[in-house]
Order: sequence, then C-alpha cells, then structure tokens
Amino acid sequence: MIQARPYEFMVKYTPQREWIVRRGILLWLAFFFIELGAGMFFVSSFFNNLWGLLIGWLICAVLGGGTHLVYLGHPFRFWRMLISSGWKTSWISRGLYFVTVFLLLGAVHMGLLLWATPAIPLLIVADVFAFLVIIYGGFAMNYVNGIPLWNTALLPILYVVAGIWGGAELMMATALTTGATGLGIAVEEWIRILLVGFIILLAVYLISVRYGSPAGGVSVREIAFGRWAPLLWIAVVALGIALPLGVVIISLLAGLEATPVALLYIAIFCGLLGDLATRYLILRCGYYHPIVPSSVYAY
Amino acid sequence: MRLGMAIEMRRCIGCNACVLACKAEHFLPPGIFWNRVIVSETGKYPMVTKHIYPVRCNHCAEAKCVEVCPTGATQQREDGIVWIDEDKCVGCRYCVMACPYQVRTYYSDGDKEYFPGQGLTDFEKMGQLLYPHQTGVVEKCNFCMERIDAGLAKGLKPGVDREASPACVIACPTSALHFGNLDDPYSEVSVLIKEKRGKPFHTEYGTDPSTYYID
Repeated sequence: MIQARPYEFMVKYTPQREWIVRRGILLWLAFFFIELGAGMFFVSSFFNNLWGLLIGWLICAVLGGGTHLVYLGHPFRFWRMLISSGWKTSWISRGLYFVTVFLLLGAVHMGLLLWATPAIPLLIVADVFAFLVIIYGGFAMNYVNGIPLWNTALLPILYVVAGIWGGAELMMATALTTGATGLGIAVEEWIRILLVGFIILLAVYLISVRYGSPAGGVSVREIAFGRWAPLLWIAVVALGIALPLGVVIISLLAGLEATPVALLYIAIFCGLLGDLATRYLILRCGYYHPIVPSSVYAY
Repeated sequence: MRLGMAIEMRRCIGCNACVLACKAEHFLPPGIFWNRVIVSETGKYPMVTKHIYPVRCNHCAEAKCVEVCPTGATQQREDGIVWIDEDKCVGCRYCVMACPYQVRTYYSDGDKEYFPGQGLTDFEKMGQLLYPHQTGVVEKCNFCMERIDAGLAKGLKPGVDREASPACVIACPTSALHFGNLDDPYSEVSVLIKEKRGKPFHTEYGTDPSTYYID
C-alpha cells in the first residue's frame, strides 16, 4: 500500500508509485526483460542464430515472465487474464496473450531448427508476435491518459526501438562470445541504425512531452534537471548513448575486427544500462495532474 | 438508472464525517481511505479562497479502470456503480495507473493494526468477520452498493431513503452530499446539478464521471 501524504494528495503534481516503488521495481524489470528477450529473438531470427533465439526466448520467459508474475498481488490468479474478455480493452491482458503465443511459436520454431526443417511461415508469425511483445508495454503505458509522460504515441515507438536495439546488442555479445565475426559485423549495422534512432526518438519524445502539458513539463524537468537528472545525464546520456555511439564510430572507421573486444563488451553493457535507466526514468517521473486547483497546500 | 452524486462545496465544512462513516461502514483497514476530504487554497494574500473537496471514486460512465482490468475484476453495474470483485483481482495495479483521479488504493499491508503492537480492536475483529479485505488487491469506493441493494430489495429509493443511500451521504452533517438517479430529471441530484450548474472533475479525460461538484 503506497499512498501520498493526505495534504499532498491531489493538490499538486503527484508521481505514480505503484509501478516503480517497492514491488513496482519488479514491473520495471519485467517490461525490460520481456522486451529485451523478444527483441533478441526478433533480431536473431533474421540471422537464423539458434543461440540468439534461445537466449532471447529464455530472457523473455524466465526473467521477464517470472518477474512479472512475482510482481502481481496474486500471481496464481494470472490465468484469469487468459479466460476473461479483458483482452478486448486491456493491454496487460493482450500482452499476456502475445507473450504466450510468442513463447509457444518460438519454442516450436527452435525445436524444428534443431531436429527438423524450420518452417518460414511459422517463424514469420513468431516474429510478428515477438514484435507485439516488444510494443505492448508501450501501449499499456500510452493508454494511461492521466500521465502525460506516458500518454504519447511516441512512447510505444521508443520502446520498440529500445527493445530491438537491446536485442541487437545482446546478439552482438553472443556473436563476440562465439567468435562469429561475420554475424557481429552484420548485427553492428542494425545497432548503428537503432542507436541513432533511439537518440533522435528520445530527444523528440522528451521535448514534445515537455511542451505538451504542465504535468508533462513537470515530468521532463524532473528527469532532466530534478532529483533524477544524474541518472539521465550519467546512465542514459554518457554511458548509455555517448559511449556506445563512440564505439560505433570507432568500429565504423576502423572496422569491427580492429575494435578491441573489451571495448565492444563495455559498449554493449552500457547500452543496456542506458535502456534500463531510460525505462526507470519514464516510470519514475510519470506525474499526474493535480485533481483540485490549488496555489498552496492548505493542510 | 445511473446512480451519481452531487457535492455542494459551499456546504462542506471539512469535518471528515464522510470519511469516518465510510471507514466504519466498510471496516477499512489502517491507511485505506475510499473517500477523502481535500483542502486547497487558491489566490494570494489577501485574496485567498479556501476550497474543500470531498473526493471519492467518480463511478465514471466511461471508466478507464474497467477498460484496463485484464481479468474483469473491475466491473460496472447497470446502475453505473463501478466495483471490484476481489476474488478476480490479480493485483496488477493497471487500474490504479489508469484512473486519472487517483482514487484507487492497492492494499498490501494486511497485518497493520490501528494501534500497532496492541492487538486488534473489537472493531477490527468485527471487520474481519463482516467485511474482510483481501491483501494484494485494489480497493475503492463502491457507493455502498450493499446498502443500496438491500434498500432496493425493500422497495426503497436510493438518495431518498437513508437505508438505500451511501453511508457518507447520510453522515454528512451539512447535507453537502446528495445521491440519486442521474437519469431521472426530477431526482434531487439531477435538479441540483442542473440548477446550480454542477460540473464533474476533469472532463478532458473523457471518462464521463457520475460525481458532480457544485460551487
């Protein structure tokens, strides 16, 4: 139970807390792992890389699904989401369907890849559901019209780019670990495009929300100049964006083979850290408008 | 029938009787409030205006909480009351997020006592028997639907007869709270809203609330 102090409640810009404070932390991690895993599966499918498919599938199912279940107040009632008609309007319910179908199709595809001939139409459908898994979290948050930071069409797009970018980074780490240089070079092209896309989208997203509404402005000020500014400037901008961007430029100029492997691993780690920090900031700084008009807080 | 409420803010003295009546009616645990009295000020000295807002679930006709509930635990009755079936709630708290009026509470601290370390009071023990609250689920005002249903079963009229009206409405010492059928143009609430130009909170969210505030 998380409640603001009564005299603050509803008379000033109030941050949402249930999805980030205490057990809410698990939901933040759940969204991250689910989208990261599905993103890795999605990217791996283009290179027909079984390790990538498997690791992505496991991240989505075990880390993502597991943390999401633990977050729930009554985890053993999760089946009710599957039998109710909630999917008609609820993105959480739809998300559970997407994850379930994606995991089933992904498992079948990997089984076929291992022991028989993979069916391309099946993989395409699995990829469609992987994409839906990546995007549903953004739509779930986008639906909350009381929080202007979330209630923007740019958020699902940002999450898609972040999810696939993270997946590509993990794919690159897999390629480096298994010594598949050719795969690494191919994946790096994805990373370049996605990283630049993420930077542009994040900037446009924050600027548009800043000027979209007063509560949006409060959210963005809190992210950029408030209590959480160090997280934005250090974890997201310096480590999550500038460092990977520098490494991408080095590898672009010198070639991937000439780039130190340790530097590539560090860039991958920092990129994922930046993605995680971005998601934290978006959840943490989601502010509601005051419900009642007030210039000062009476009591 | 669409049940709703009209709140005359000039009559409200901020006594919190409605909050306590709700607490008693539903045996609400420590820290849980289904309604609140919010006091705010606008303007600058010496031109300051004090506002007192009794707030609760607005039982919106287009309730976001109903739409986002993944299990159908949050439901809307034909009379417009939005309520939560605790047995169906998984505790995902999507409804808490989606409610732009922030009137929902996630109940997690089930072992809290009103007097910590001194055991449960008789009131709390009675509440566990008569109105048990599950932990790990979301709670909110249900317009005292048990009272309304019991009253309707006796042929009484919500908002007119005490036994068919919410506890907060009955407890209000200044009669600032009015309850009734919004679909009936001659009901007390409808007439009040029309004559005194009652307005709901934040219509821009497109939720069509059933609680109106009258200046």
